[in-house]
Amino acid sequence: MTRYLARRVLEAIPLLFIISIVLFILMSNMGDPLATMGGRTLTRAADRLRLTRQLGLDKSVPEQYLYWLVGNDWTRVDLDGDGVPETAGTRKGVLRGDLGTSLVNRGRPVWQVIWARLPNTLLLMLTAEIVIIVGSLLIGVYSALHQYSFLDNLITAISFVGYSMPIFFIALLSMYIFSIQFKAWGLPSLPTVGMFDPQVGQTPGQVALHMVLPVFSLSFISFAAYSRYIRSTMLEVLSQDYIRTARAKGLPRRDVVFVHALKNASLPIVTVIGLDLPLLLAGAVVTERIFAWPGMGRLFLDHVSRGDAPVVMGILMLISVAVVFFQIVTDLVYAWLDPRIRYDTGRAQGG
Amino acid sequence: MMHPRRGLWLVLTALTVAGLTLSACGGGGQPAAQETAAPEQGKVATFIFTQEFDTLNPAYTNQFFSVITHQLWNCWAWDFDDKNTPRPVLVTEMPGLENGGLSQDGKVITMKLRPDLVWSDGEPLTSDDLVFTSEMHTSPKNAVASAYPYDQIETIDAPDSTTVVITFKQPFVSWAGTLWHGILPAHVLRPIFEQDGTLDNAAWNLEPTVGCGPYVFAQWESGSYARFVANDQYWGAKPKIGEIFIRFVPDDASQIAALKAGDGDLGTFIAYPDIPGLQEAGIKIVPAYSGYNEGWYFLLDPELAHPAMLDVRVRQALAMAFDRFSLNEDLLLGLTQPAATYWDNTPYTDPSIQPWPYDPEKAKQLLDEAGWKDTNGDGARDKDGVELVLTYGTVTREVRQDTQAVAQQQLAAVGIKVELSNYDSDIFFATYGEDGPVAKGRVDISEWSDTSYGWPDPDIMYWRCSEIPSDESPAGSNWQYLCDEELDALFTEQATQLDPAARQATFQRISKLMFEKVYWLGLWQDPDQWAIGARLSGVKISGVTPFYSVLEWDLAP
Repeated sequence: MTRYLARRVLEAIPLLFIISIVLFILMSNMGDPLATMGGRTLTRAADRLRLTRQLGLDKSVPEQYLYWLVGNDWTRVDLDGDGVPETAGTRKGVLRGDLGTSLVNRGRPVWQVIWARLPNTLLLMLTAEIVIIVGSLLIGVYSALHQYSFLDNLITAISFVGYSMPIFFIALLSMYIFSIQFKAWGLPSLPTVGMFDPQVGQTPGQVALHMVLPVFSLSFISFAAYSRYIRSTMLEVLSQDYIRTARAKGLPRRDVVFVHALKNASLPIVTVIGLDLPLLLAGAVVTERIFAWPGMGRLFLDHVSRGDAPVVMGILMLISVAVVFFQIVTDLVYAWLDPRIRYDTGRAQGG
Repeated sequence: MMHPRRGLWLVLTALTVAGLTLSACGGGGQPAAQETAAPEQGKVATFIFTQEFDTLNPAYTNQFFSVITHQLWNCWAWDFDDKNTPRPVLVTEMPGLENGGLSQDGKVITMKLRPDLVWSDGEPLTSDDLVFTSEMHTSPKNAVASAYPYDQIETIDAPDSTTVVITFKQPFVSWAGTLWHGILPAHVLRPIFEQDGTLDNAAWNLEPTVGCGPYVFAQWESGSYARFVANDQYWGAKPKIGEIFIRFVPDDASQIAALKAGDGDLGTFIAYPDIPGLQEAGIKIVPAYSGYNEGWYFLLDPELAHPAMLDVRVRQALAMAFDRFSLNEDLLLGLTQPAATYWDNTPYTDPSIQPWPYDPEKAKQLLDEAGWKDTNGDGARDKDGVELVLTYGTVTREVRQDTQAVAQQQLAAVGIKVELSNYDSDIFFATYGEDGPVAKGRVDISEWSDTSYGWPDPDIMYWRCSEIPSDESPAGSNWQYLCDEELDALFTEQATQLDPAARQATFQRISKLMFEKVYWLGLWQDPDQWAIGARLSGVKISGVTPFYSVLEWDLAP
């Protein structure tokens, strides 16, 4: 296992290098960060020339990548445009923990830009994920135990209605109903946007209240997929011989369902959760935008639209590292859960 | 040995707790000076901005939502009222020829500052701060957003603490609309510049805790909100509203919902279709003319343009074949009207000019006269074997795509075929050097909304022959490739005219020339539409400095 782990980690290093190169090349063609620096008018030609030089955008893409990776404090740059590179570089590069500074929030380190949003994203996405998992488990188990009952059919129908709706529609509809219309009808209403009401202050209660609609919007769509998956695996497990044996032995129904059946049915769910976990870091672009939730999704969108390559690279590399990391964790957890799975020099062996 | 499934639950639980703990501990964009508790006393007005500031240092940004906060926490030497007339703020009076503030040759401006100016930390605001501001804009060590117009200055001196003397390299008539958009505190930033060699990484850029406005910066939570509280040291009258809370809400529909639900007291850039619904909800709509007019820009290069576009009769036909009046009624709900010239709603447009009428029969007649007739019966006119097919491009905004669809239909009715194209903004507005489709002359008709650079100053570089982009001059802004010697001479002449009446007359001649030759066709006047919630009163909005009257604003409970 240790050898397997070491091999996976070593394999991840060149993979991340390749990912960074591909992303950097894509980023360098995604737009012009100077186009919006004129505000509501076009950036003046003289300013464009100067900023191109000062922000290092006059360098070739390989050179920019090199500086991004290893920094430029080992060389000198021409900041004043006299043709003489006399100013020492200040960047240390990603390999030394320096993700660079934002082109939009000029001078602010990229890791600070990301760190300011990451907790908000984790708060929203983890909460939504927990709601999805718990809700889907309840729905999926009930549906499996009461297959083709009226309630099973009703829950299935509602789930698929939610699944087929685009998230912006659900988000705006829920905002319209529970915020605007409820208020118009004199009912207690939910807030529309943001994390708290400035009149009250940023209290845990306020944050929780402002999370209701975004979490609802995120969850409603995912209930269908998760609950159907759980229903399917439960039905498969419930038809197994050992479940019949457990029933025959007179075990309580609750033990049969939750101790024997659900735990065996959870293995595939682990895979799905494992694949979802790194994507939590990416946030939810549409939801965050509509509810003005200050998360990673919005951060990515805002900085992509303004061509802020350092920040976008930071976010993408963070997600890439997270994907690789959680892939390894998922494999390890698999082996942990199922003793039949063993990793040797190269292949997983099971069954 | 731990049971595998118990281990799994432990791992998942640990991750969840770690995530929730992380989010409880973090959530801070800028290190907050204080926890965000409810304000102890005073009124809190909530403004909704659809875009977050990029930075708050006036030298490092031209972003609209950052610049408009200056009247809250920073200060301009003069701002502009709701008629877009300049009014002194830091200066005792506007420099002019009569009071000696402007020299006869137009090169020297002498400003007299008020003697009672102080920064929010109690330090006096003096002429040294203005000199420092100019120096920081032009230092090659600062990656400022724009060095203009400070790069036009030859010398700037402060003979005493309340006098600033600026000598320009050339007569500079655009000074009123371009100078002193935000002042930098020398006593705070000079030590940083001397130590670091640059202001690029100064903490003050993102946390300007020292300012000169009626409010002072309190907090900025990345992606979420910013707070400005009343400045106890302000040298002017005290504001009635104790705190301005700015919430960043990027989605237009969400902004509307928040305004209707009362979660915001002010918003801007309201789309025309949303206006009736907001008004029904008791929200007041205030248009602020910021110089913007939506229009068509025609490609006029002899080599790149469609040959039909080079004939003024064809351009006049385009103007008369497109019913912009109905467009304004139907698409924009009659809330605005066709723009006649680029300088509509300013004194710089010839008052006799009226928009080209909608007259498709006259349009057909003009096209016939120009020799464009449908000789092959395919529905599109042609001449010398060239079909009259024009490309019409703009960004992806819905109102513009709708405009394209209408124009395509109406122009087809007179025999002009139009092919539509849409681009993302950063691509559409990319320069010649960046292979922008408009800049490279690949679009016959381009549509966007624009204003002059230093509005309300009317000067614009777009139509100068020297601004035509090329391989040698890839940043040129004359994307129409227009070179009219008479027009060029008029633009050159106005740049030297210190007498406002003479300059106004020259611009009226410019607007008339451009109108008659249809170098630019106005679609609609495009004021910024501000939504003011029912709780706010006393609000007046300027097209240049929207919050100029914030001291008079009040907030009902």
